[in-house]
Amino acid sequence: MAAPARPPRGRHRDQCIHKPGGDLRGRTPWQRLRDTSFGADTVHAGAVAQGTRSPGVAGLSEATSMAGHSSDHGVVMLVGDSGVGKTCLLVRFKDGAFLAGTFISTVGIDFRNKVLDVDGTKVKLQLWDTAGQERFRSVTHAYYRDAHALLLLYDVTSKASFDNIQAWLTEIRESAQPDVVLMLLGNKVDSAQEHAVRREDGEKLAKEYGLPFMETSAKTGLNVDLAFTAIAKELKQRSMKAPSEPHFRLHDYVEREGRGASCCRP
Amino acid sequence: MAWLLPPVSLGHSSCGVCSYLACSTADTHIRVDPYGFEQPENLDSADEAFLSAYPAVLARRAAKWSRLLKARGGVRRSPTVKRYVRKGIPLALRAHVWMALSGAQERMDQNPGYYQRLLQGERDRSIEEAIKTDLNRTFPDNVQFRKTAEPCLQKTLCSVLLAYGHHNRGVGYCQGLNFIAGYLILVTKNEEQSFWLLDALVGRILPDYYGPAMLGLKTDQEVLGELVRAKLPAVAALVEGCGMQWTLLVSRWFICLFVDVLPVETVLRVWDCLFNEGSKILFRVALTLIKQHQEFILEATDISDLCDRFKQITRGSFVTECHTFMQKIFSEPGSLPMTAVTRLRERCRARLLAQG
Repeated sequence: MAAPARPPRGRHRDQCIHKPGGDLRGRTPWQRLRDTSFGADTVHAGAVAQGTRSPGVAGLSEATSMAGHSSDHGVVMLVGDSGVGKTCLLVRFKDGAFLAGTFISTVGIDFRNKVLDVDGTKVKLQLWDTAGQERFRSVTHAYYRDAHALLLLYDVTSKASFDNIQAWLTEIRESAQPDVVLMLLGNKVDSAQEHAVRREDGEKLAKEYGLPFMETSAKTGLNVDLAFTAIAKELKQRSMKAPSEPHFRLHDYVEREGRGASCCRP
Repeated sequence: MAWLLPPVSLGHSSCGVCSYLACSTADTHIRVDPYGFEQPENLDSADEAFLSAYPAVLARRAAKWSRLLKARGGVRRSPTVKRYVRKGIPLALRAHVWMALSGAQERMDQNPGYYQRLLQGERDRSIEEAIKTDLNRTFPDNVQFRKTAEPCLQKTLCSVLLAYGHHNRGVGYCQGLNFIAGYLILVTKNEEQSFWLLDALVGRILPDYYGPAMLGLKTDQEVLGELVRAKLPAVAALVEGCGMQWTLLVSRWFICLFVDVLPVETVLRVWDCLFNEGSKILFRVALTLIKQHQEFILEATDISDLCDRFKQITRGSFVTECHTFMQKIFSEPGSLPMTAVTRLRERCRARLLAQG
């Protein structure tokens, strides 16, 4: 698999983002993006919780509302190299099934819908599945900006898919909303094949970029529902202007709930 | 004539289409269609009705084709042939007619041994790996593509895609070609013919769908948007009004040339015209699907619903009844002159290039 070699396209996005204060030097680009957009006063993308939507399109980021997206949907996009198991993970989550040898390669972009119950509130997730092959990025990158959350996958049995994560992060940084919810997943952890990527490697990378991280298995279901539930909880919280419940912390949640999972703070 | 045979039960997954009747007595029964695709246990009654009526249509067409070929001693493009092709090429003649009309036969004759040499040459590992990732994920619902099948079409598919990737380095391997090559193999049952037909499609019939920039693909999706705006403005207003991009709705239609979108027999009927009349046919199919279900689409309540509806309109008796469907694609969308398509392509392409 060819590495997604993309020349860095400058840092213009970093420069455009409003800086709430604090020295951002010495942080990774991704951390800087998070720093600048995760402040308490920031308006977050994705008003996803039904019943919490105010007529003023509460909580919709500018780009999202320009795109006219209905505000009661959380758009979750799955990205990662070809064959890492994006579709399998989605199907496991949506239908609770894993039927070996029944999956076809995703071409272009595909979509599925799922309604989740998050603490008594219905959260509608629109799940966008993407083709992993590099050339399809020219087709799919236009969708990054509409995504409220991104699940970035690699395959623990494929070193190449892990090595490409950096390139994926660059792509995401260039095209996605700066406050997009992002999670790193090492999939196929059930595999009897030798794991080419150790869990510590995934943890280390996640820590470097300040991402929640879990190892998952679409085959056994390990941590699959948890990953999506965590995303839904985060999106639900962001959709509420003044959350009545205690502040939800994605990192803590993943760390606490993940089975054999871990989460790394920067 | 494959469609003269009813769906049959397969004992185990190792049988090819040619031997499937022999396996019907085995214990575990899988219903497969004549191409080897598993079929649902219970077919729709409308589907059953169509399946029982369609063989008569095929028999009539086969007789006409056989007289035509006898009288002319071969197939060349002509108004008569165009009319015949639109009414369907019998499966037994399909490979021969596709090869003749697309120019694939000519290329194959001019380049003896070329296909084999491609397979013997040094291999690009990145192409090979990308292809291998998709082999198990191509038609897992087709018994001929299973690893245990004998002959195993996965191996044939791998060879055709490898040869093509090395023949056309500008494209290499692009996901989606696996499904297209897979259908070519099912129809021709011949590796080399499949290769040359793939060459005709990717190299000449379709405008740069599969190259690294996928510019032709993106252009044609924009062109479809323009055509919908002109012909079905209410649908265009809905789609554009909610910020939807056509790619999300129709990328698979174009990349896979309707494979796994429409029923097998319908896809093959569309391809009959694709090989003879060119890529314009894809717009006719897309426009017909949208026009026929216009009201249904307009009832969409939100984006998810709209996406779902675009999936639903590719199912059901309207598309299963391929003979009527093919008549509709030439009447429903109205006039679609090639000059207009070319002009739209130029305009959309320029717009995309300007956007970077």
